[in-house]
Amino acid sequence: MPSLRSIRGRIKSVKNTRQITKAMEMVASAKMRKAQARVRDTRPYAEKIRELLYRLSAIEAHRPNIFFQVRPVKTIGIILIATDRGLCGPINSNVFKQVNRFMAERPGVNFEFVVVGKKGQDFVRRGGLKAVGSVTGVKDKGQIEEILPATQVAIEEFTKGQWEEVWVFYTEFISTLTQKARSQQLLPILPETEADGTKKPSPFLGEYLYEPDTAEILEVLIPRYFETVVFQRVMENFASEYSARMMAMRNATSNAKEVIYQMTLVYNKLRQAAITREISEIASGADAVQQG
Amino acid sequence: MSFMLSLLTQERVLVTEEVDFVKAKGVDGEFGVLTGHTPFITLLDPGELVVRKGDSLYSYYVSGGVAEVLPKSMIVLANTVERADDINLELARTARKNAEEALSKPISEIERRTFLLELKRENVRLSIASRRHSPGHPGQISEE
Repeated sequence: MPSLRSIRGRIKSVKNTRQITKAMEMVASAKMRKAQARVRDTRPYAEKIRELLYRLSAIEAHRPNIFFQVRPVKTIGIILIATDRGLCGPINSNVFKQVNRFMAERPGVNFEFVVVGKKGQDFVRRGGLKAVGSVTGVKDKGQIEEILPATQVAIEEFTKGQWEEVWVFYTEFISTLTQKARSQQLLPILPETEADGTKKPSPFLGEYLYEPDTAEILEVLIPRYFETVVFQRVMENFASEYSARMMAMRNATSNAKEVIYQMTLVYNKLRQAAITREISEIASGADAVQQG
Repeated sequence: MSFMLSLLTQERVLVTEEVDFVKAKGVDGEFGVLTGHTPFITLLDPGELVVRKGDSLYSYYVSGGVAEVLPKSMIVLANTVERADDINLELARTARKNAEEALSKPISEIERRTFLLELKRENVRLSIASRRHSPGHPGQISEE
């Protein structure tokens, strides 16, 4: 049986833990609301620019552009988006699992990483993988400038012909309760396909008029597409991170509550037993005195 | 006849609604869009984007970007957008003055170009904002 004093100490320490997790939950939930709004705000642009480029990639005349060309794959560039901090449930490890599966499915291909987030750096280091660039300490304020170093490296590697494909791995925000690890091919840009692999019919099949001309528009549009989509994925990841952290901390808080309840029960039982014992000792002492 | 306008920046959504007419500034000059426009894609110059919906006119300052026009929709992927009502005259004036001062000094070609661009941008912003302040102008902007 533990002593009264030791159990009191443990209750106190669990109470402290509960306070910390409670505070973290509240911080995460405040950040989460902002991050969710940001996801809502940034999704439309990313989707529209993606759709626009899908439409453009379906136009035959654009084929020669390197960003629309399929080449035999030797090296794949992976943009891995993870969090800077832990205590956010399984979202990082789910993404890493997905990356591992992706690599296992493609034997004989090299992989190079551009990493966003400290946990991603750890993953790359632990796995002995090659990182060509990394960004950490990105703020959740929605500043695209912060991730530009990462996207520029990736675009450079692709245009130099070092990478034949570029993929992004991140955690998609679905709801406060659900986040899903996702992978997505960013380059080359290919016409959208249905699940069975056939070309999706484009809503618009004609040719556009271009001002000033195709080449110049693509030159602006493609880097913009790339950085916007990556940026949007980082925002998704933030919303996922805060949601997951909030849930993890909420669970931790309720676990702590449960532990405190159980320990208080034991504590009270012990206390009562001690009192009973003391009384019976006094009573028997008094008896002895009277009889004597 | 109206069409769907989406005015977006990387950071937020400004407009997604059915509108009747849009005037914007492409690199090759201003253009107007009505329903049934020929599909076209253009880069945008810093300038005013005017939207007409019913009887009301809305005005935005767009710093550049890309516009895609389809017969029944128009998407403006802007770099940055300001609502005309939000333009801060003081800030714009100071920025213009700074650019002018910088240009009067001997500077490198690249710097000169950035400041010229800056100057152009501030002039456009100021002209949009000042129009808003002159009542009775045909391009007057109604309050939202």
